[in-house]
Amino acid sequence: MATTIPANWVICPAYNEAATIGPVVAELRRAGYRVVVVDDGSNDQTARLAADAGADLVVHPINLGQGAALQTGIEYALQQGAETLVTFDADGQHRVDDIGRLLEAMREGRAEFALGSRFIGHATNLPALRRRLLQAAVVFTRLTTGLQVSDAHNGLRAMTRRGAATIHLRQNRMAHASEILAEIARSALRYVEVPVTIEYTTYSLAKGQRLGDSLLILRDLIAQGLAR
Amino acid sequence: MIAQCTLSFVLLGVIGYAWTEYRRSPVVALLSACTAAGGFYFVWFPAQSNQLAEFAGVGRGSDLIVYTWAALSLLVMLNLHLKLRFQLELITVLARRLALANCATNGRAPAPEASPLRDRVTGSD
Repeated sequence: MATTIPANWVICPAYNEAATIGPVVAELRRAGYRVVVVDDGSNDQTARLAADAGADLVVHPINLGQGAALQTGIEYALQQGAETLVTFDADGQHRVDDIGRLLEAMREGRAEFALGSRFIGHATNLPALRRRLLQAAVVFTRLTTGLQVSDAHNGLRAMTRRGAATIHLRQNRMAHASEILAEIARSALRYVEVPVTIEYTTYSLAKGQRLGDSLLILRDLIAQGLAR
Repeated sequence: MIAQCTLSFVLLGVIGYAWTEYRRSPVVALLSACTAAGGFYFVWFPAQSNQLAEFAGVGRGSDLIVYTWAALSLLVMLNLHLKLRFQLELITVLARRLALANCATNGRAPAPEASPLRDRVTGSD
């Protein structure tokens, strides 16, 4: 096993990910990262498998959504003294090697955030409809936040402790990805985009967003805009 | 006159409701108050509502009042939606505090079993 880097934390939100969480956590631990898995009220063995693989474990008593799990993970990692935090999907579609690139780009660019982008990197087996939806999300994000990003809904991103402290997610479900970018824009902190690879599998596609989810995201963003 | 008084009473109630909701969702509160004020005006000046309805292409003034009422109902429903979201935010904060208070460092604590409560309330993303 590689030497553990105590200040680098990887946050994995997980909901019923028993099929993948063990290998994902084990690979992250072999690479030397501290890992916190936020089990978002799973009904399967996600929590046990994550703990067995060496992750710290935070368990939501009820299912709240990926955005809520990410915020919980961020708060946990900050409590543990994390210097850098990486968000990483539990379904195995991200590559552990890309984390190093994100952290390096953040250091070189003196940035507080490094955002993974599959559109300047690679996406294997990405269905055409999902590609169109993601591109529409990019246009929406550019219009609403002013950030000239190339990928708005990529779960692989890194942030410094300072950057993470500015993130306060209120969107519990999938709209959190847009909310993070809005928070970055609001904070006016520096960010860089980094090419990453997303490997879609039958499993990750089944777990991922659908056409109807984009409408829910839009609804949630509008509702948050109306409320204080 | 009885209908006018009854509607006015209800519309005043809506304005009062909008006032109490202003802190939580000012946009919805202002829209509700403005729509209710408009409805109040039309109730007492139906001739004006006829003219406005004709101008807007709605038909009769009474139709305009019905449409105004429908719009008001939708705004109140929107406000209920926002209230539910607010409650969910509170539940999220509570659940997060519980989770962080009971977290297991490096997996030393046993992973919890699925609970009946969790089974009842879980929903997939």
